[in-house]
Amino acid sequence: MKDLIVIFISTVLINNFVLTYFLGICPFLGVSRRISSALGMGGAVIFVMTLSASISWLIYHYILLRFNLTFLEYVVFILVIASLVQIVEMFIRKFSPTLFKALGIYLPLITTNCAILGCALFMVARNYNFLESVIFGFSAGLGFSLVLLVMAGIREELNFCDIPQVFRSAPITLITAGILALCFMGFSGILSF
Amino acid sequence: MEKAVEGLIVLGGIGFILSIILSFLSEKFKVEENPLVEKILKILPQINCGACGFSGCEEFARRVIEEKKPYTCIPGGEEVNKKIAQILGLKAEKIEAKKAVIRCGAKKEEKKVSFYYWGPSSCVAANILGGNIDCLYGCLGFGDCIEVCPQKAIFFDGARVKIDIKKCIGCGRCVEVCPRNLISLVPYKEEVWFVACNNKDKGVETKKVCKSGCIGCGICARLKESPFFIKDNLSFIDYERTDNKEALFEAKNRCPVSCIIRDD
Repeated sequence: MKDLIVIFISTVLINNFVLTYFLGICPFLGVSRRISSALGMGGAVIFVMTLSASISWLIYHYILLRFNLTFLEYVVFILVIASLVQIVEMFIRKFSPTLFKALGIYLPLITTNCAILGCALFMVARNYNFLESVIFGFSAGLGFSLVLLVMAGIREELNFCDIPQVFRSAPITLITAGILALCFMGFSGILSF
Repeated sequence: MEKAVEGLIVLGGIGFILSIILSFLSEKFKVEENPLVEKILKILPQINCGACGFSGCEEFARRVIEEKKPYTCIPGGEEVNKKIAQILGLKAEKIEAKKAVIRCGAKKEEKKVSFYYWGPSSCVAANILGGNIDCLYGCLGFGDCIEVCPQKAIFFDGARVKIDIKKCIGCGRCVEVCPRNLISLVPYKEEVWFVACNNKDKGVETKKVCKSGCIGCGICARLKESPFFIKDNLSFIDYERTDNKEALFEAKNRCPVSCIIRDD
């Protein structure tokens, strides 16, 4: 139980995927324009990450390890992730066309999102058991959504700010991301494991 | 070799299972697009001007079908709206064509420059500093409206910024962009009439800054059955009463600063 809590907190805050590992930067910058679409994207990523981590774990341990086919791990993981993203896309398209439009190309881009493949690979590299990988996947997604949401909130406020011309849009976004990363550095050292 | 076969079987098996799940779900979550949307979209002008209040022509088509309400496509004019109403089995609302006019007729050399402006070439920016011409109401001439016009109907003719009435579709984008609120949409019946001045100061003050500004003398308003009226030292046209063409022409001829403009 204690291990699970440690994994959860460390993945959400201390070793946040976006701000500490720099994984999944593209939707982080691309979809953080509005809080509503950031929430949708966060939900999609949590769903895909949790499921991909658990399914990848099952496939890795029960099929790849058993038949000594670990050299297939990247291909299999990508296959699982791509199918999950496809499902999420169908789902969102059916039930929320507005969100589908807002997410645009970033939704299919989750397929090759390094955060999600990274999550599956970390899980293998760290020898997590099944429950641990599920929690790991979920908390990685949660950490991603948290940062995305914070960023979207800041960027919505930035719209009302008098920003010097040269800093508008991309530069100010990257500066904000940098400052956010700096803030998240403050969490390092809370837990030692 | 054995490994390769095993890998092939495993990878193929996983892919096969996933594809079965996906095909099953894609049947279940099928999104049916209304064929009417495409049909209406073909009729619409497809310039995404936003005059209807929706984010584009596609959104307009979708909302018209969903709500079964005859929203009007302003640039499309009567013909387009009739066709759409026909498809949906609705009655088209009669729409009045409107065109944008710039209510400043001062020529470039007439405008007295109050200071040398050296900032970004945009009316909005120049207006923040109060504008670089003496007239506090007149056209600054940097052409923000020229840039925003989807039909390229606004141009600078060497003396003043003008709108090509034939090209104008009345979407109203230029109305929003003008920092001095000089552009308005006026009814169009083969021709448009408007007073080409926006200076609300008293006649004496207006005279000081511009030769062709309306001084609010009221000659046009005193004519018989005149559609003109004076408000804020400025002449306006009551467009409900513009049927009397004679009064309009007479006012145009008698205006001492000739700022009543007819365009067709």
